[in-house]
Amino acid sequence: MINLAKKDISHSLGKFLVTAMGVGMLLGIVLIMMGVYRGMVVDAEILINDINADLWIVQEDTLGPFAESSRVHEDLKNSISIIDGVKYSEAITFQNIQLPKANMPIRVMAVGYDPFGNINPINPNRLIQGSKLTKDHYQIVVSKETGFKLHDEIILARDKYEVVGLTEKTVSSGGDLLVYISLKDAQKNQFSYSNNRVRNDRERGISGNDTTMVNAIIAVLKNGYNTDAVAKNIKEWKHKSVYTKKEQEDILGKNLIERAAKQIGLFTGILILVSTIIIALIIYTMTLEKMKEISIMKLIGIPNSVIIKMIVQETLLLGIIAFISGNIFSHLIYEKFPKRVVLEISDAWLLFIVVIIASILSSFIGVKKVISADPAAAIGG
Amino acid sequence: MNKQSIRVENLVKSFGKGDSLVDVIDKASFSVETGELIALIAPSGAGKTTLLMMIGCVEEPTSGQIWLGDEKVYDNKWLNKDTRKIRREKIGFIFQAHYLIPFLNIIDNITLLPQTSGQSKEESEKVAMELLKYFDISEKAHAMPSQLSGGQNQRVAIARALANKPKIILADEPTAALDNERSISVVKMLKKIAIEQNVAVIMVTHDEAMLPLCDRILKIENKKVVSTISRPL
Repeated sequence: MINLAKKDISHSLGKFLVTAMGVGMLLGIVLIMMGVYRGMVVDAEILINDINADLWIVQEDTLGPFAESSRVHEDLKNSISIIDGVKYSEAITFQNIQLPKANMPIRVMAVGYDPFGNINPINPNRLIQGSKLTKDHYQIVVSKETGFKLHDEIILARDKYEVVGLTEKTVSSGGDLLVYISLKDAQKNQFSYSNNRVRNDRERGISGNDTTMVNAIIAVLKNGYNTDAVAKNIKEWKHKSVYTKKEQEDILGKNLIERAAKQIGLFTGILILVSTIIIALIIYTMTLEKMKEISIMKLIGIPNSVIIKMIVQETLLLGIIAFISGNIFSHLIYEKFPKRVVLEISDAWLLFIVVIIASILSSFIGVKKVISADPAAAIGG
Repeated sequence: MNKQSIRVENLVKSFGKGDSLVDVIDKASFSVETGELIALIAPSGAGKTTLLMMIGCVEEPTSGQIWLGDEKVYDNKWLNKDTRKIRREKIGFIFQAHYLIPFLNIIDNITLLPQTSGQSKEESEKVAMELLKYFDISEKAHAMPSQLSGGQNQRVAIARALANKPKIILADEPTAALDNERSISVVKMLKKIAIEQNVAVIMVTHDEAMLPLCDRILKIENKKVVSTISRPL
């Protein structure tokens, strides 16, 4: 039996492929949108996973440094470290700063930690060159995406820092590139004021400023201790807010990812709807172009089923080619996006199912047109 | 021996309802035998295409009876609801233009209907090649319609009409798009087919030059098929 869809497509192959690729680019954008969301989830959890602390102790009644401002005293780490069940604890700071660059400063998030402490937030797997911090001052580990190289000098405030290590794919929950400096440097940058400010404060009766603050204390527990129980203990005795790693992830999820997911989900939904409408319009136009032939076929006795099969096969093939070209397109461009895009096979399969359903729905328009075609229209010119 | 291939009795076709009712064909009765080439003539808008469509089971008459071969297909209603099956099995159509499917090559255009009717690819292609040889265009079997001249395409269209071995051919102004020489050639071809393949052919035409080539002429005048004139070949 002659396959009408195959013959029709072969006859205008170039036009069909270009049309399918056009729809494919739209589907590629859908995949990228899904990838942006996936990337956002991965990015949001990088720092939490790299630090890998069991507990986060933050300012009372705050949600911690990933959601809102938090300040606690650095020496809190000492009293936390002696609580039953705590193996060790460290102080940590987070601060958005600008790295000076010839063309344009780069916004980054600086993580301040004790280079000689027990918790190292730099994941060794992401350290691609150089080393972690080895001194208490004037060293910096930067993400390679900042464009800095090993041993480059970076001026922060009034001090010069040497790049001692390069990491890759390290970003904050907000998508800013990460840099790592010592806790002492971070405190100085974040909490010390200029001489003018100190003088001004003195005139106002404000004496000095405390540069021993940090944003959070992180703790690792001994084996066999229940994190919730230790967290409850700290909350009661230290009057701080305490979050487990899981709770921190949930806070990130609620505050950052959930709204972004809705935003991206809605945008993705609209794109899929637009793609469906475009596929439907293409099929409608392709069917309209063949109405004379369809009338002739109906007149000479070709059953509807044969003509409908042609329309449905063409629609499905259009959807499949569009899906394949969308995948190729998205894989070609996803690395060019400034923020992480994670293309997952499960998302691609989900889109495939959506495209097939959309194609079948779209083909109904063509099928309806075929059924309503008047065979008498073939006669009389 | 020739036998009746088409028989029409008291066929009526009206359009509209009530006060706006318009009769187009009024009690037409005639028959066509196998091997006959009949010219159907009438002024524009007189109902010749409507008559052709009713015989071709495309347009439903208002009343009357139609026999195609031995089968009564219409008796004030279609006796077989699947009129497309009747067309597929009994009737070959030829149009003003060739109306070949542009995305199918010549042989596919001819074999589409037979294959749809259940014939194998090999069998249908064998018949198609015989028809193409008959029309002297076998070398164009794998060409696309766009690569053929108007006359060649019209011959292919006639081959397509014959591919399912119908006993009736309904041709709606098949020479309208051709010059005089090619028109005569096509009508002679239809006459040859009618005789050699035992087919009844009704051909709508405006071209009086074609009439002497036909066996008989049916003329629609004042809504009636008023005269059947025999003309020498």
